[in-house]
Amino acid sequence: MMRTTLIFTLAMVGYALAGQAPRFSIITDNGQVSSDSLLGKVIYLDFWASWCEPCRESFPWMNDLHETYADSGLVVIAVNLDRDRAKVEKFLAKTPAGFTIGYDPQGEFAKSFGVKGMPSTYLIDRHGQLVMSHVGFREKDKEELRTQIETALHSH
Amino acid sequence: MQLNSSLRGRLRSATCALLAVTAGTTTAANFHSKWTVEGASLLYAESKRTTVFEPLLVIKRDFGEGQTLEGKFVFDAMTGASPTGAAATNRVQTFTTPSGQRHQTSSGEVPTRSFQDQRGSVDLSWLKPLNRRFRTELGGHVSAETDYRSTGLTATLAADFNQKLTTISLGGGMNSDRIDPVGGVPEGLTRVDPRSTVEKTLSKHIADGMLGVTQILTPRWLAQVNYSYADENGYLTEPYKMISLIDSITGETRTGDYLYEKRPDHRVRQSVYFSSAYHLASDVFHVSYRNYWDDWGVRSHTVDLKYDLEVSDKVYLEPHWRGYYQRGADFYVYSLPRGALTPEFATSDYRFGDLKTLTVGCKIGVKTAELQEFSARIEYMQQSGNEYPEEAIGVQRNYSMFPPLDILILQVGYAIGLP
Amino acid sequence: MKLRLMLVGAGLLLVYGCAVQSVEPWQRDLLSEEHMQLVPDGVTNGLDEHIYFSKEASSGGQGVGGGGCGCN
Repeated sequence: MMRTTLIFTLAMVGYALAGQAPRFSIITDNGQVSSDSLLGKVIYLDFWASWCEPCRESFPWMNDLHETYADSGLVVIAVNLDRDRAKVEKFLAKTPAGFTIGYDPQGEFAKSFGVKGMPSTYLIDRHGQLVMSHVGFREKDKEELRTQIETALHSH
Repeated sequence: MQLNSSLRGRLRSATCALLAVTAGTTTAANFHSKWTVEGASLLYAESKRTTVFEPLLVIKRDFGEGQTLEGKFVFDAMTGASPTGAAATNRVQTFTTPSGQRHQTSSGEVPTRSFQDQRGSVDLSWLKPLNRRFRTELGGHVSAETDYRSTGLTATLAADFNQKLTTISLGGGMNSDRIDPVGGVPEGLTRVDPRSTVEKTLSKHIADGMLGVTQILTPRWLAQVNYSYADENGYLTEPYKMISLIDSITGETRTGDYLYEKRPDHRVRQSVYFSSAYHLASDVFHVSYRNYWDDWGVRSHTVDLKYDLEVSDKVYLEPHWRGYYQRGADFYVYSLPRGALTPEFATSDYRFGDLKTLTVGCKIGVKTAELQEFSARIEYMQQSGNEYPEEAIGVQRNYSMFPPLDILILQVGYAIGLP
Repeated sequence: MKLRLMLVGAGLLLVYGCAVQSVEPWQRDLLSEEHMQLVPDGVTNGLDEHIYFSKEASSGGQGVGGGGCGCN
């Protein structure tokens, strides 16, 4: 009885913490993309800007994720927050991306997600649930992030 | 006296949300490369006085995630003539240097002594983030010249608040200096006589601390306030400087009428410093102001203005203006009247009198490659004080007691980032 | 002394209490520029501090420590 209660409580807390990710619709290089259209996929949502150094360092990693897991159902969307589109073009020319780039120059989308630092990463599972949020990009975070992604991909 | 190394530079933390912090001595340029090497050479030339040539090299290693290690190596070669503190008078004055040489100063001229020296220094600085909020910086310093050695350690802790909009810094430093004056140590406020000096090694200890707050005010505006406190103990006098004894009516100095100067063996220095950077359309305007005071009676205001003008995405110009206004030490004297009571402390070192230093200059920076920058700078400085003070007596009124000093500064530098 | 403390207080008020707006993480592009560092050139700053320290009776304000020299 005690154990069941504990597990139930933890599950509720877990649900409350994770919760439903905000539904969104953003402009990307491939046109408008909505969260509804992505249900059933695992979304790796990243908020970045051209002037942010760790963001630049995370691009090769995100390219790797895209190449490795796209077939398994991972969608990488990197939402750019630059106000000047020219800077983004310049950045992408030097650091190309195989994944989808989204645009949020006014920062409204970032605000709805409660972005606290740059870069900020969110993992949304196949049911539209927010299962992970992370601020910053460090070498040692890669392992943990990869584990979380694989878990989300393997669940149904 | 202490040179203060600045705590500045930006921390490239993995979260990247914080910019322009106080703890982070990236003296070298901020390329995002594993190694950064920066070299520079400075030429400092006073009109008819001292000339200094100062090359330096900075090597920085970035370990990633905000951890850096930096080494700075500086060499100074100094030569020229520096005022002894003795006043101009209406006849030729003869002096004997500590090494036994005699030299003369013409009538009406401020006596100076020629010198030549070299100085080398090494500074190490290690910056390490402790966690997402805290980071620390540790520094060490060693320097040596013919008669002076200095070693020091510093430690600073910085913490970010309000999503890194606010940073609070707390720093402390300890310094220990060893002084071995060539020609021995004189007894302060006794008659100048090279035979009266004693071969002795002296020491000076300094403890200092700083509390600073840096705040991002708007997306374009960053500001900082610092409060600093320093406590100096030990031999704080200049062994080579002297004060002229003058006739209380005629103002003349007789042959050999000089006293060695004497300063207290303790000094407490404090300052409040404001700094601001404001980003206009494409240029940046920097303003800083320092209010300084100490228990020797020295008070000063320092205003510094810099304007970073973006000429193109590869070239910038930086005009600069600095104004320094000093009210001198309580025990500063132009000279001492013979026969009057000798004060407890006295100095005629013009740097401790009422003076003002004005600097105008311009710097140019050119981005020669992706991770390379060339820079050059020229500055003109003028230091002036009370040329005809009311304390001047008799013949002294005929001469300038503080001839304005013109100084030219030239500097070139090159920085390279290596992956 | 009281004037000094008022000066410090005013400075802190200006710097903190006066924070005109809350700046979001993605609004820090200008602030991240090289020239927006409070000391944009560490090498020049160090060289200048050495010069002024040798020619004037005041020193410091920006940081702690540093080395002494026989030049003052």
